[in-house]
Amino acid sequence: MSEQRKGSFLVDTLVFTKRSIVTIIRNPLIFIPNLIISLFFLFVYEGGLSGISELPAFEGANYLAFILPVSIVSAAIGGAGGAGQALVKDLENGYFSRLLLTPSSRLAIVLGPIIAGMLQLLIQTGLILVVAYFLGLEVAAGFGGVIVVLLLTLGWGLAFAGYSVGVALRTKNAQSAQAGTFVFFPLIFLSTTFVPYELIEAGWLKVAATINPTTYLFEAMRSVFIDGWEAWPLVRGFLVIALLCAITISFSAISASKAVSAD
Amino acid sequence: MDGSISVHELVKTYKGDVKAVQGVSFEVGEGEFFAFLGPNGAGKSTTVQILTTLVKPTTGTIRIGGVDVGEEPERVRWNIGVALQETGIDPVLTGRELIEMQARLFGFTKKEAKTRADELLTLVDLNDAADRPCGKYSGGMRRRLDLALTLVHKPKILFLDEPTTGLDPSNRQAIWKEIKRLNREEGTTIFLTTQYLEEADQLADRISIINQGKIVASGSAEELKRTLGFDAIQLVFEADEEAERASKVLADLGENIECSKDEVTLYTENGTQLLSELVRKLDENNLSPKKLNVKPPSLDDVFINVTNEQKERA
Ligand SMILES: Nc1ncnc2c1ncn2[C@@H]1O[C@H](COP(=O)(O)OP(=O)(O)OP(=O)(O)O)[C@@H](O)[C@H]1O
Ligand SMILES: [Mg+2]
Repeated sequence: MSEQRKGSFLVDTLVFTKRSIVTIIRNPLIFIPNLIISLFFLFVYEGGLSGISELPAFEGANYLAFILPVSIVSAAIGGAGGAGQALVKDLENGYFSRLLLTPSSRLAIVLGPIIAGMLQLLIQTGLILVVAYFLGLEVAAGFGGVIVVLLLTLGWGLAFAGYSVGVALRTKNAQSAQAGTFVFFPLIFLSTTFVPYELIEAGWLKVAATINPTTYLFEAMRSVFIDGWEAWPLVRGFLVIALLCAITISFSAISASKAVSAD
Repeated sequence: MDGSISVHELVKTYKGDVKAVQGVSFEVGEGEFFAFLGPNGAGKSTTVQILTTLVKPTTGTIRIGGVDVGEEPERVRWNIGVALQETGIDPVLTGRELIEMQARLFGFTKKEAKTRADELLTLVDLNDAADRPCGKYSGGMRRRLDLALTLVHKPKILFLDEPTTGLDPSNRQAIWKEIKRLNREEGTTIFLTTQYLEEADQLADRISIINQGKIVASGSAEELKRTLGFDAIQLVFEADEEAERASKVLADLGENIECSKDEVTLYTENGTQLLSELVRKLDENNLSPKKLNVKPPSLDDVFINVTNEQKERA
């Protein structure tokens, strides 16, 4: 009987995505700490550092709008990293082999956790934006600006999910995959995280901020929060993200094809 | 696609020059019950993983139902059911959810998947635990759920790698009964590895014994016992120490001698003729066994003999 049945990429992807969402919901500890840390950024830095936005380099910008991208981006990393973590768990408990033994699409197996991670990330970002709204956030570019921020976050999340999935499939163990997510510390903090570029004193940090892709993401988000519609920061932000996605998704695709046909 | 398996000159060398399988060939016909036996580390699981598309062979060709595994792995996956030695279960989902998901991946509609889950949960006696997360299942319950997952799509060929390990006797029997039914009534081809040799003896049409990556004996259980051409003389003593002494005294009488605790088993070409000499030797050494048995070899005896022969030669 089995031979008459047909596989469907769409059904497979749907099944895997649904399963990942169920897993996330049943393990709130996967996302709650991360969300709390992101909100912590918002409250603590807004409360503690907002005085520095009086400095002329801020050009009168509200510090909340300045620090908000940091909160969003750090939440996104957690959401996206979850995709890799989920795969590592499957690899460790043998369920991954069970899935490989089904005729389902190999791509769908990897795509399910990524899509679920992206949904989680969108909800988190929405939540952070709502909190920021109650803290007095005004978005210079209006509602369209919020959409742009969500898109930027999604792109960034996708890039990071690609990376985390690639590391997971390569190392196949939880500790290494966890260690792999630590690159996010330098990415977030060696940037224009707390102050604008002009205020960074140390030469090395200036260099780091310049080559750090996160800087361009921060700048793009800040431009819509603070300045309204400006082409250049957005173009640059989306270009950097597209490039990152291209790299990390190829990395994860190569790792996946190796992992699904072990030699 | 039929239910046959054909393996030709299969070699698998893992990184670090681990020669897991070294040139294995065999054929299993449609509807046949084939048992693949061998000591730990012999290469059974490696063979199963290669036959079921999970691991790539170093060299060799494999056809499952006439389909080349390397060329069309997906077509093969539609038609095989695989229970690996290590169960593969997501601890977060419930048993029912896992079966339904498995069914969906094999092209069942949602409704069909539900029906199938009900059937299988009853079959493996997991109705009570069906809606609890599998992470909370006992080892045996996990094993049974894993078997249910294997059967979801009613595969033509079943690969079962030590499917009853860790099951209590009554569950083990239930599983054996079902495997037997699938083979006899549904015509499912069975490729089975097991450490329970009497069961292989009773169920399998044909047996191959693999040792250190090579097949060392093949045939029906009866054939294997006959080709062994040995009888087993079994002696049981009062004390372990006596048994040990006896195994030294009798060593040159037979082809092979095994001693464990208070029991000595001597394999010899003609048990009955040797008996008088054996009794004399025991007498001379003041040894009197509590029990003495001459029996045709069991599959256990065949197994121990062919795998030991190799060890001695190595
Ligand atoms: N992924 C792997 N990498 C390297 N070596 C491996 C790998 N898997 C198995 N081996 C080696 O291959 C050999 C055969 O192992 P295999 O698991 O096939 O044995 P088995 O017959 O199933 O044993 P058991 O009865 O213990 O399950 C062993 O020496 C094992 O160490
Ligand atoms: Mg094994």
